[in-house]
Amino acid sequence: MTDGTSSQFRIGAKFAPSRAQLRGALGILVVFVAWQISVWVIDLPAYFYPSPADVASAFVELTRKGILPSYIADSAWRYVAGVATGLSLGVVFGLLIGLSRFWSRLLGPIINFFYAIVEVAWIPLLVIWIGYGFNTILIAISYVVFFPVLYNTLTGVQTVQKVLINAVRTLGASRRQVLTSVILPSALPNIITGFRVGAGFAFRGLIFAEMIAAGSGLGFLIFEGATTRQTDRVVVGMIMMGLLWLALDRLFLRPVEVATIERWGLVRAKGEGM
Amino acid sequence: MTDQSVASRPAFPLSPAVMTGLLPFVVVLTAWALAPALSDIPAYKLPSPAKVWSTFTSMTLDGSLLSEIWHSLQRLATGYILGNLIAIPLGLAIALNRAVAETLTPVLSFFQSIAGIAWVPLAIIWFGVGQGSVLFVIANTIFFASIYSTVIGVQSIPQVLYRAALCHGASRWDIVTSVVIPGALVQILVGLRTSMAYGWRALVAAEMIAGTNGIGYMTLEAVQWYQTEIVILGMILIGILWLALDFLIFRPIERVTVKRWGLLS
Repeated sequence: MTDGTSSQFRIGAKFAPSRAQLRGALGILVVFVAWQISVWVIDLPAYFYPSPADVASAFVELTRKGILPSYIADSAWRYVAGVATGLSLGVVFGLLIGLSRFWSRLLGPIINFFYAIVEVAWIPLLVIWIGYGFNTILIAISYVVFFPVLYNTLTGVQTVQKVLINAVRTLGASRRQVLTSVILPSALPNIITGFRVGAGFAFRGLIFAEMIAAGSGLGFLIFEGATTRQTDRVVVGMIMMGLLWLALDRLFLRPVEVATIERWGLVRAKGEGM
Repeated sequence: MTDQSVASRPAFPLSPAVMTGLLPFVVVLTAWALAPALSDIPAYKLPSPAKVWSTFTSMTLDGSLLSEIWHSLQRLATGYILGNLIAIPLGLAIALNRAVAETLTPVLSFFQSIAGIAWVPLAIIWFGVGQGSVLFVIANTIFFASIYSTVIGVQSIPQVLYRAALCHGASRWDIVTSVVIPGALVQILVGLRTSMAYGWRALVAAEMIAGTNGIGYMTLEAVQWYQTEIVILGMILIGILWLALDFLIFRPIERVTVKRWGLLS
């Protein structure tokens, strides 16, 4: 499991950038230069089109006042709690539906139906029922993560090689042992893939939920910045959002996924269409 | 961010089990219908199914519901076509040149990770509340989801195929039409599907925050007036519309590609 992560760090430690990385850095630089030049050329008020310098100073100000760190901490806590809840429920229901034809028949159609109601659509109702704040966001995020994890767990469970189960059973394994030593390990790569897909949707879901139902967090920063015409803050929020997602995806989710696949076998993602 | 993996939905076994499958729907509907009688949940929090149904029929009869749906679908279609029409050719063009592709990949993945809902506030500043903002956000979301997928698709074509085609005397144009496009097609289709899923969420979310009509606007606007029946109606319609889009557009595409090119993976 730690293989992927440590190799990532090794790359960082050596830091001999490849040509592709240099070109990539150049691309980012070009975007910044083009942005700055377009600010000079277009010459619009800063609230309409802030320059990189405006955004940098807004970043410094937000950091110095402690707003940005505390917002990021709020967002991170909501995100982690929501993703963890969704992940656990998704795995449990995935196993249940994958292992029992009865539960599959019973819950399959209604899960497919609720899957189509995106979390975005739940937020208004949750606001009426629960009000603004942590619980609404927690439910919305768990909801997004639940479905991809469930569908991928299901695929994982259904593609377990029967011969493995038979082998373990002839050796006298109990049902519980079959679950923990055959089914869960062979479904793990799928579960992790579902987790990564769900985590991606959940990140956007978090931003949206915070725009509508929170008084802090990155989504709130982006939204509030626009209503108070502090557009430089909006852009700070957007850039932070992009950077955080990339960091999460490249430094955690992908290494974990790669390591799991290397350790436990091949995988195909399911349920990503939504 | 969810690029290389496949977008297909596992189907639950249906045929002999339809009745069992309907049971939870019945239970949910019954619980919903009985809830006001059995508990003291106020009607503004949970309107009865009958109330939602009568709202549905009256809004259908006066045409307002159809017009909201029409506005949303029209917007989605415009954003989808616009975004993909720019993204796919541009993606192919970018990916054809290795230096350009390597330069732009990090930028594209960065924009893909902020694409979507986070643009709504900025869009409001730039275009004001209404059609322009919503369309900008949808097209933006779809563009970045799709172009990233296309670029990755071209980059995943093995070099050996280019060399083989060149050895047989292929021109640049031949390479584009017989190596690049078929080779990247599966990823392009994944992009078409994934971008629709992102675009659909972006549509609903953008309408809620920046819209002046459409299904998302209708759903969040009703919260202000505690018209929970409209909120629930909106949710159900959002679900049904997505199922319809999926069933009518993406299932057929998937079936054709699976038949023609094997598994989508």
